[in-house]
Amino acid sequence: MADTLDMVDKLLADLKNIGGVEASIAASRDGLLIRANMQKGKFLESLAAMSATMLGAAETATTQVEKGLPTRVIVESEYGRLIIVGAGPKALLIILANSNSSLGLILIELDKSARKLKEILK
Amino acid sequence: MVETGIPKLDEFLGGGIPKGKSLVYYSQPGVEGEIFGMQTVYNSLKSGGNCVFVVSSTIPSITKGLFKEFGWDIDEYRDRLFIVDAYNPLIGAPSDEKYVVSNPDNIENFNKVIIDLIKELPPSTIVFGSLSTIMDLCGEKETIESVKNWNKMAMLYNHVLVYNFTVWPYSQETLHLIKEELFNAVISIGSIAERVIFGQYFGILKSDWAKETKTSMLFRVLRPGGIKLFIPKILVTGPFDAGKSTFVHALSTRAISVDRLGTTIAMDHGHVDYKGFSADIFGTPGQERFDPIIKLLSGESMGVFLVVDSTNPADFVRAKHMLDITKSYGLPYVVVANKQDMPGALKLEEIREQFNLPDDVPVCPTVAKDKVGVFEAFEVLIEKITGGT
Repeated sequence: MADTLDMVDKLLADLKNIGGVEASIAASRDGLLIRANMQKGKFLESLAAMSATMLGAAETATTQVEKGLPTRVIVESEYGRLIIVGAGPKALLIILANSNSSLGLILIELDKSARKLKEILK
Repeated sequence: MVETGIPKLDEFLGGGIPKGKSLVYYSQPGVEGEIFGMQTVYNSLKSGGNCVFVVSSTIPSITKGLFKEFGWDIDEYRDRLFIVDAYNPLIGAPSDEKYVVSNPDNIENFNKVIIDLIKELPPSTIVFGSLSTIMDLCGEKETIESVKNWNKMAMLYNHVLVYNFTVWPYSQETLHLIKEELFNAVISIGSIAERVIFGQYFGILKSDWAKETKTSMLFRVLRPGGIKLFIPKILVTGPFDAGKSTFVHALSTRAISVDRLGTTIAMDHGHVDYKGFSADIFGTPGQERFDPIIKLLSGESMGVFLVVDSTNPADFVRAKHMLDITKSYGLPYVVVANKQDMPGALKLEEIREQFNLPDDVPVCPTVAKDKVGVFEAFEVLIEKITGGT
């Protein structure tokens, strides 16, 4: 287990290094926190749970209207962005970024990381 | 009896460690096993006993700093805490402690200090911060011979001996001796990666005074706080307007909800710290149109609170159906009979009857808005989850 978690930590640290990214978090599809890379981590458990709910709700909504699975959920807010992507059937990745971040770059890296996380948790 | 201070472990051990007995925390590398010994040190000081702490893997002042990190003020008890410094001489630094092992790579030196303490002190708790480092420095065979001797002496002088041991790749023979023969009790500490729950657990491998328990407990280490039993997910579900969110908030140290017009539309999430337990609580919406989300979020639960409005038996069918949706059958659950203060609230027996509940499912009366009965319900569910006797 130590090895798996080390790998998740490495992956999250890489994501955190992208310009403008303030936090990177791995959570399970059912809303449990797996691991996080974040300065102050008080509401991490709640953030993980809420993000899983949002992605889950988005998936339910789009599949019911036959639009297929959503690629990601992006929340634009007053002071930044929250981005959630699925990473295989078990997990998801959450990114908190500030408003100056480059969304395109983050999305490319995030998709790559999501594929890696899926492999790690296999 | 000396309590270990680890939640639930004392209960499993029938109250703690009897005088004259020895116990080893046998932990896999990579888990936070050394905290167990420290928590035992602090707990025995707090309950008025004498304690010896043998520090062999780092400078005593760093160890003292660690205690502070957990919020354990050991200075208050310095007249009853005896620290044996078996590290500073190793790096040639002077020691501030009264008891020093002058050559920590020679077991004879350890023997002298330890045996003297055993003879001098009234019955105490003697905790070895790391038996593995002593073994690395003094040799496996030599250390084992000494440990045998210390345990016998401790038995004669009515001390309790507690060792932290990390399972590095020692010889099979050594590991066998430690697991099976040397100590009166062995607590194994390891890690699991089951599906997506990454956690650490402990369980009793052997104990010659308490009856065998096979249960393993998940734990996490909080700073401050120390070792807390960890319940990753408890689900709170039930029909519309039963008081689920109120229940989650009443129970939680901190909680958040997503609601509109007083109705939960996504979920409630709360965190509970209570009596050595650390649990995360997930509350589901009650209305049928949210059922797909409930299904998504209810995975990996360890127990369920089924909250019902005691004045509204018409919803009991829906309540049962929700157990079904959350795939909670087979999980431990308790029925929370909420709104007991309202006129027309059914009695617990009436609810049990209307529900046709099996005898082993508890019904707990609550008034969630006034926080009445919520912690009692929590304790009942925890008891079911941890399989307490």
